[in-house]
Amino acid sequence: MKSTYLLLKYLAILLWSSFVALPFLWALTTSFKTANGVTGGATYLPWLQYEPSLEGWKVLVRTGGQGIDIVAPYISSVVVTLSASLISLMLGTLAAYGLSRFTFRLGFLKNSDITFFFISQRIMPPIVLAIPFFLMLQFFGLLDTIAGLILVYVALLLPIATWVMVDFFNNVPREVDEMAMIDGCNPIGAFVRVVLPNSLPGIAVGGLFCIIFGWNDFFFAFTLTFTKTQLLPVAVVALNSSVTPWWSLSASALVSVAPLVIIAFIVERFLSSGNMAGAIR
Amino acid sequence: MLKFKYKHFFLLPGLIVLVAIIIFPLLFTIRVSFSSWDVVKPGLDWLGGKNYGRLFVDMRFWEALTRLSMMAVGSVLIQYVLGFGLALLVWRDVILKRFVRVLYLVPMMTTPVIMSVIWRTILHESLGPANDIVQLFGFEPLTWLSTGGMAMVSVITVEVWQWTPFMFLLLLAGLLSLPNEPYMAAAIDGAGPFRTFFSVTFPLMAPISIGAILIRLIEASKLMETVYVLTSGGPGTATETSSYYIYIRGLRDYQIGYAASLSLTYLVIMIISLTIIAKVLTYKFARG
Amino acid sequence: MALIMQNIDIRENGIAHLDNINLTFRRGGLYTILGRTLAGKTTLLRTIAGLQQPQKGTLTLHDSDFLQLPVWKRRVAMVYQQFINYPHLSVLANVAFPLRRAGVPRAGAHQRAREVLGKVGLADFEKRRPAALSGGQQQRVALARALVKRAEILLLDEPLVNLDYKLREQLREEFQNIFEGQDDAIVVYTTTEPAEAIQLGHEMIIMDEGAVIQQGEPLAVFNAPATIRCAEIINDPPMNIFYGAIENGDIQLQGGIRLKVPAHMAHLPHGPYHFGLRAADLRLGRMIGSQVELSEISGSQTILHLRGDIGAFILYEDGVYQHAIGDTVQIDLNSDRIYSFSVDGDLIAGPAAAEAYRR
Repeated sequence: MKSTYLLLKYLAILLWSSFVALPFLWALTTSFKTANGVTGGATYLPWLQYEPSLEGWKVLVRTGGQGIDIVAPYISSVVVTLSASLISLMLGTLAAYGLSRFTFRLGFLKNSDITFFFISQRIMPPIVLAIPFFLMLQFFGLLDTIAGLILVYVALLLPIATWVMVDFFNNVPREVDEMAMIDGCNPIGAFVRVVLPNSLPGIAVGGLFCIIFGWNDFFFAFTLTFTKTQLLPVAVVALNSSVTPWWSLSASALVSVAPLVIIAFIVERFLSSGNMAGAIR
Repeated sequence: MLKFKYKHFFLLPGLIVLVAIIIFPLLFTIRVSFSSWDVVKPGLDWLGGKNYGRLFVDMRFWEALTRLSMMAVGSVLIQYVLGFGLALLVWRDVILKRFVRVLYLVPMMTTPVIMSVIWRTILHESLGPANDIVQLFGFEPLTWLSTGGMAMVSVITVEVWQWTPFMFLLLLAGLLSLPNEPYMAAAIDGAGPFRTFFSVTFPLMAPISIGAILIRLIEASKLMETVYVLTSGGPGTATETSSYYIYIRGLRDYQIGYAASLSLTYLVIMIISLTIIAKVLTYKFARG
Repeated sequence: MALIMQNIDIRENGIAHLDNINLTFRRGGLYTILGRTLAGKTTLLRTIAGLQQPQKGTLTLHDSDFLQLPVWKRRVAMVYQQFINYPHLSVLANVAFPLRRAGVPRAGAHQRAREVLGKVGLADFEKRRPAALSGGQQQRVALARALVKRAEILLLDEPLVNLDYKLREQLREEFQNIFEGQDDAIVVYTTTEPAEAIQLGHEMIIMDEGAVIQQGEPLAVFNAPATIRCAEIINDPPMNIFYGAIENGDIQLQGGIRLKVPAHMAHLPHGPYHFGLRAADLRLGRMIGSQVELSEISGSQTILHLRGDIGAFILYEDGVYQHAIGDTVQIDLNSDRIYSFSVDGDLIAGPAAAEAYRR
């Protein structure tokens, strides 16, 4: 009985793992195919079922009309994601510390209401904001620019950063802040000298969440940019609707998700060494 | 008095940015929804409630809403059941835990749209591996993207692939933090695995389950990107969700005024439904 | 040259955290505040430090308004009961922190920090992080940091409560030595342990439910507690209180027990009274019967919780004895040590000789 259960358990895990790995493996295989490997039906094994070629990958670095320019969107994505994450983290950490340590009263609203206001922005479906953002950016001449995107992304990532940091600060005893003030720091000094150095795990988690959500956004990049600026997800999806062959499509896709997959492995390493155990809850 | 200054220094920058970038657009949208702004007549005139009247009888909108609810609830429930099942399997097993954690973290970190692009090639009815696998098990090839019902299944499948890991990780963390005592008591009372699950594990996990389901529901209710890439709302309007329909009206047909009224109505309905669901779940499952 | 609190009040939801406090702390004085948990001791210290604002009242230091100053300008030093240190700094940097904040250059700050670390016995630990130290060592770092500031007001909030028994005794002695050297400062030390309060302070303040209920020289307060409540707080185990009367020249207790009126109470009129007797002033003997409800062994002493016709009470004796619950035990009362309180709880007469605290 016990061993049947074990067998079933490992089978289930195996099935699920295959399901998880399927798109990656398929994309990987397909990226090395040429027309022969695709048009006759699905093929899986290189050399046995199709002739592998680097065409799908070579096209990525070929520029000037011949190839798919993946480098420019890559750079744009990196710039926008990192800038917006940095700004959101800074503003969010400050706001979170304020909400955690001080009491606010705006009319009948208190701290928990203000925190809820920050966090509830995530409920907003992107479409509700897309229209006014579009008109707003158009008005300021920021449509299709990196700066415009950064502005919009800060609005999206700030709630995330604040949410993570408020939770984190609430779990840091305020006695250490008090001690810093008794020792002669004003609240800002206490924050910078004593609280921040001890908040690195929380900031790392907050930063990670910001980067993930920023890098993976499609909708706002899609509605607010056209030709001058293109972010990675938009670039790849644009390939989807044209006559791009499957092999370059798969290669572009893999290259685009690679950074975060690598980060996933790094995070896992960190998690199991127990470093962030306290910060992630 | 000095404290006044300091606490404001912390909160105000973030709060002002948020209000400026979100509240003003929201207010603006409200104003626009009362106008007839479109490609022919840009600008803010006053239409009164005409847009709202129009959406009231706009069957396409309400059908989209129904479809969205079905797909969102369906996919979240499947994610929950699968995620919980996987978490239970891995819970007590030390070796497996490390191995699967990486694997299961990865889908969550990938760009959903890009994975949908890959899925589109997988689900291709003649050239993709999906039907090969289906036929391996002895079934007829499925019409993944060309019939309405199956198209919904495809969208749900992609969503399940992408987000079950989220449920899994959250529920696993919850399981790992459960106290030991109830289990010892159950063992002493001679409860078998099923009994233990329903009487001990499930109730104890109630708060976390509810939290996880709500978070996923909130995200799932925005469903649009997967639909855009995988099916373009089709075939026909079979997988058209509210967000997708509003996108068509607003940014493709450029009927900005109407789209604004649609999106606000959608937002209000979402907030009300999610609040009701949250209250019902909490009341039913997390009492005492 | 004093810190004066007048009419300080802090109330929340109808509960008084501080109830009309009027206290004067003089330079060079070592004040201990004794009280049960939630008596308001911590709130009092936090108000002096500036971490809490009173709703009513004034606080002045050398005649200037202290309440106006924010925490970081008050030049106070504080040691918490939880060992609070800066986790990301070394021990040396921890102790030097307040000096650096005050503008003292690095070399000078480190030197002074080293001196103080030597005084608390942590000279070899300067490079370590607080997390790598034991509880007692961490608290010493906190103390060193408080001392290095040479602040005018030094506050200690139950600093020893989270340490084990032996360590507590050891540090208590060290504290005495350290405090002797603080001639310029006002030292305020709170505790729940009467022994600590009496041993350490020049002046003792008893707090209960947010109010000051007695203050004075420790032994004087110990020998003459102003009310029954003071008597309960200042004795550990709490003083036994019996309801009775003086009638026909005898002390009459419940259950028909009669005692001769001792000399120090001979002048008292007839009438109802509360009588108080410390647990240590009861002995196993022959006079009064009672049943054992609980028997505790603490160190090398036995504490018996007994109940008889005269009421419930606690007996405390040297030596380790085994008593089963339900056993009948005969006890003697030492009537020379009986206190008499009025029906309302105020002290009327206590034993004449100011006997030294036994233990």
